[in-house]
Amino acid sequence: MFKKWLGYIAVSFAVLIGFSIVNTEQQVSATTEPHYTIATDTTFPPFEFQGKNGKYVGIDMDLLAAIAKKEHFTYKLTPMSFNSATQSVLSGQIDGVIAGMTITDEREAVFDFSKSYYKTGIIMAVNKASKIKKLTDLKGKTVALKTGTGSAEYARGIQKKYGFKVTYFNDSNTMYNDVKVGNSDATFEDMPVMQYAIKNGVALKIVTKPTLAGYYGFAVKKGQNKALLQAFNSGLAKIKADGTYQKIVNKYLDASASKFSGSKADNTTFWGLIKSNKTQFINGLVKTIQLTIISILLASIWGIILGLLGVSPYKWLQGLSTTIIYIFRGLPLMVLAFFIYIGLPNLTGDKIPAFVAGIVTLVLNEGAYIGAFVRGGIEAVDKGQMEAARSLGLPYGRAMSKVIMPQGVKIMIPSFINQFIITLKDTSILSAIGIIELTQTGTVIISRNMQGFKVWLIVAIIYLVVITLLTWLSNWVKTKMK
Amino acid sequence: MTVKVSVKDLHKSYGDNEVLKGINLDVQENEVVVMIGPSGSGKSTFLRTLNKLEEPTSGEITINGSNLLDPKTNLNKIRENIGMVFQHFNLFPHLTVLQNVMLAPTELKKADSSEAKKEALDLLDQVGLREKADAMPAQLSGGQKQRVAIARALAMKPSIMLFDEPTSALDPEMVGDVLAVMKDLAEKGMTMIVVTHEMGFAKQVADRVVFFADGYIREQGTPQEVFDNPQDPRAKDFLDKVLNV
Repeated sequence: MFKKWLGYIAVSFAVLIGFSIVNTEQQVSATTEPHYTIATDTTFPPFEFQGKNGKYVGIDMDLLAAIAKKEHFTYKLTPMSFNSATQSVLSGQIDGVIAGMTITDEREAVFDFSKSYYKTGIIMAVNKASKIKKLTDLKGKTVALKTGTGSAEYARGIQKKYGFKVTYFNDSNTMYNDVKVGNSDATFEDMPVMQYAIKNGVALKIVTKPTLAGYYGFAVKKGQNKALLQAFNSGLAKIKADGTYQKIVNKYLDASASKFSGSKADNTTFWGLIKSNKTQFINGLVKTIQLTIISILLASIWGIILGLLGVSPYKWLQGLSTTIIYIFRGLPLMVLAFFIYIGLPNLTGDKIPAFVAGIVTLVLNEGAYIGAFVRGGIEAVDKGQMEAARSLGLPYGRAMSKVIMPQGVKIMIPSFINQFIITLKDTSILSAIGIIELTQTGTVIISRNMQGFKVWLIVAIIYLVVITLLTWLSNWVKTKMK
Repeated sequence: MTVKVSVKDLHKSYGDNEVLKGINLDVQENEVVVMIGPSGSGKSTFLRTLNKLEEPTSGEITINGSNLLDPKTNLNKIRENIGMVFQHFNLFPHLTVLQNVMLAPTELKKADSSEAKKEALDLLDQVGLREKADAMPAQLSGGQKQRVAIARALAMKPSIMLFDEPTSALDPEMVGDVLAVMKDLAEKGMTMIVVTHEMGFAKQVADRVVFFADGYIREQGTPQEVFDNPQDPRAKDFLDKVLNV
């Protein structure tokens, strides 16, 4: 049995290593041009959003592509939430960020910005039916803001003066929807972004003139990636001079609603949505399944090790197991994910790919739960069983694997099945560190077509189907074991 | 005569509660020692220290010339040589009767599996349960379970057998079968240490009866000496109660 487990461990590590090799191969394209990883926001149209073919488009994206071409560098784009994007740059995981990012004094303390490539202003938008017309109407109302944005900072600055409450969201579409359904009464947003969203069917209206002119800039961590920043500035000057810049901006701001987000039929009917986003849904699902399977496998091994340490005859090993279980069961999954992905590289200086960070997060968290019930399962086996096995001369490990575990595992099976399903669902939390699994796929698709209800319904159904299949599989294994 | 088990000044405490207060006992080869005494007198604890299921607090235990309490001693090797039978059988419920008996010999590579199977079936024959080889423990009666447990304990060919109240958990009509198997073993010359409340068995089979009370050995001798003419007042009192029901 132990040999079998060793085999599983070896296979799992091989799989993990395989993944990281594949990942690095993608990053290093066969060229001598400098190569960077650049983060962007998943949902900030018209600056960045996923086009109908699944590729990222938008003013930022096209500018970056044009500049890279002029300056002869290549890059790998990593879309994630705005907050994660900026933090990933600060932690050194990623070289630069272009995400409709306003240049502010606070940000300049930790980032080096390029020359501004876009001038914008902040406007207030409200529900189409709302009576709110000006800032003074906001007294006692709730305002929806997007975490970490310039608009949010602006709103906080005037919050006292106008006496409103604020609520925060991580992506624009959820924020718009909160205003649309009436949970919040207004939102502050960069003007071009709001205009584009309204053009694409968001039922809000802009009620104020643009204020507090903001300047968007491309950012790198302070003191780092000087060559990249220089290239961006020089490329920006070149495309402004030759007219490319204006062409790009016009392309998005003058675009009709369906140009980037797909035809109306594709976006409003259930089947249309599935058909037009088939590849993205499949890719997201595959990522979710990969995360689930690798995590379940490794978390089971880790959990069984923790459980075995927990019942070991040595007090210090028991204490070690209890402490590890206590810590990782006590930490919320998302905090753990951020800590590993963003916090650890700050300490060690080594980058961790998001996928690996996600797996490590799940293994530590789910492994702690598994460890707790493995220990419980072993302890539920009658003490006389171990005594009988040891009195025959079986060493501890052999007694454990041949006598105790086979009985304990039967007790643990329902908990295992439960934990597998929880693991599958918990993969959705990893969307926070930018892994485009099924949930993040939903966010990304909605940021383009604004069809929140239908897309989340599709995502929910996919989850239910996969969970049903997983339950069937687990039950089949359960009957096989009997 | 060879001394198989030698115990000197053995103490065992659970916290402040001292349950063994200096036990001295030698057991000779082929000897059958039956330990009797009231509940909580320490006899079961003493038996369990002999294969170190209980860790003694102090004292010396020598099994076949090896110091049991020396950390360098290979405990598993010594345990292979001491079979143990428990009050509650402790059969492995996920294995068949045959697998229960074969587990230790095959795991410890004492025999290849066909040889181990043959020996296991012979042992089941010896306890009269060959036809139950493929049954699961849950399908057996208590008496059958205990006979399988004896066969399992014999599978490593031990030279010493420990019995910890082997009939206490049995229905009365099952007791006889188990005692018969034990008697048979004794007649074949097995060195046996038995904790029991079966006074009839003690009288018939024991070479020596040892009376425990309050963590001490209060009296020992041949069954005749102990049963017919006990010297210690505690022993007298105990035997009055159990013999004159």
